[in-house]
Amino acid sequence: MSGEEEENASELKLGEDFVKAKCLMNGEVAMILEHRLEQLQQVSDDPLNQMPQVFEKSLQYVKRFSRYKNPDAVRQVREILSRHELAEFELSVLGNLCPETVEEAIAMVPSLKDKGRDLDDEAIEKMLTDLALVKKFE
Amino acid sequence: MFIKVQLPWNVIIPCEHMDVKGLMLQKSIILRLMEDFTSKKATKELGYLLAVTTLDNIGEGRVRQQTGDVLFPVTFSCLTFKIFRGEVLEGTVHKVLRHGVFLRCGPIETIFLSAQKMPGYQHVPGESPMFISEKQSKIEKDVVVRFCVIGTKWVETEREFQAVVGLEGDYLGPV
Repeated sequence: MSGEEEENASELKLGEDFVKAKCLMNGEVAMILEHRLEQLQQVSDDPLNQMPQVFEKSLQYVKRFSRYKNPDAVRQVREILSRHELAEFELSVLGNLCPETVEEAIAMVPSLKDKGRDLDDEAIEKMLTDLALVKKFE
Repeated sequence: MFIKVQLPWNVIIPCEHMDVKGLMLQKSIILRLMEDFTSKKATKELGYLLAVTTLDNIGEGRVRQQTGDVLFPVTFSCLTFKIFRGEVLEGTVHKVLRHGVFLRCGPIETIFLSAQKMPGYQHVPGESPMFISEKQSKIEKDVVVRFCVIGTKWVETEREFQAVVGLEGDYLGPV
């Protein structure tokens, strides 16, 4: 059992199919999937039954695991994280796991400390404080 | 990771459905695209296919020689889920065995956390078996665990992914 050699998320290598792709946070996925479910509800009496299993399992997962439930909070989180020149993948991991300390953030996303990046501990700290504030006032 | 990606595909509309015009044709193309998308379930490259979000372009249809069906090249955006080596994720335990536990994460059911990859945890057998650490943190059924992905595998016959994960690293374990 091993991943593709060229794929390694901790080095931000996701494979060539995803070069132009956009990563989404759990809260954003929940918004998209719930909207799709509503659309189906309008045309069907038993929409959940018509949903493929992968859809249903994913919806349950993102509802359970999104730290932010309110769509406005989800938008604010993306806005805050976008100020810091993060890669798409890094942004979503931070938004999903909501680390509380700089040390934890770097453990979750080791590429934050790659050479040549203009992201010191102080900037990471500020980012985490801003995220915590969104959660507090959600 | 959930990913939004734009893809080019070909949609084939059978010739008997070609007596439709304008908006009706567009509707048949969308419906056929969504059917094809759903029945694929997952691909090795893109991961699990969750939902078509927008249909971005429909190209010129081409009639196929033998059957008279019409093939439309389309570009659309969709939502996928793929698990990557090195990624940190959270999942829920659904089975506890002597040699480790199985977790669920998003559409993936078979994520194995081996006892060898949870340092400091001991297996406790019984009616509700669990793994327990020196600091009394428990890994048992329905517990949420934060883990790091060690390896992934695409199973062609089932059209699904499996993964092995571990807790070796800081800030990993039961949440």
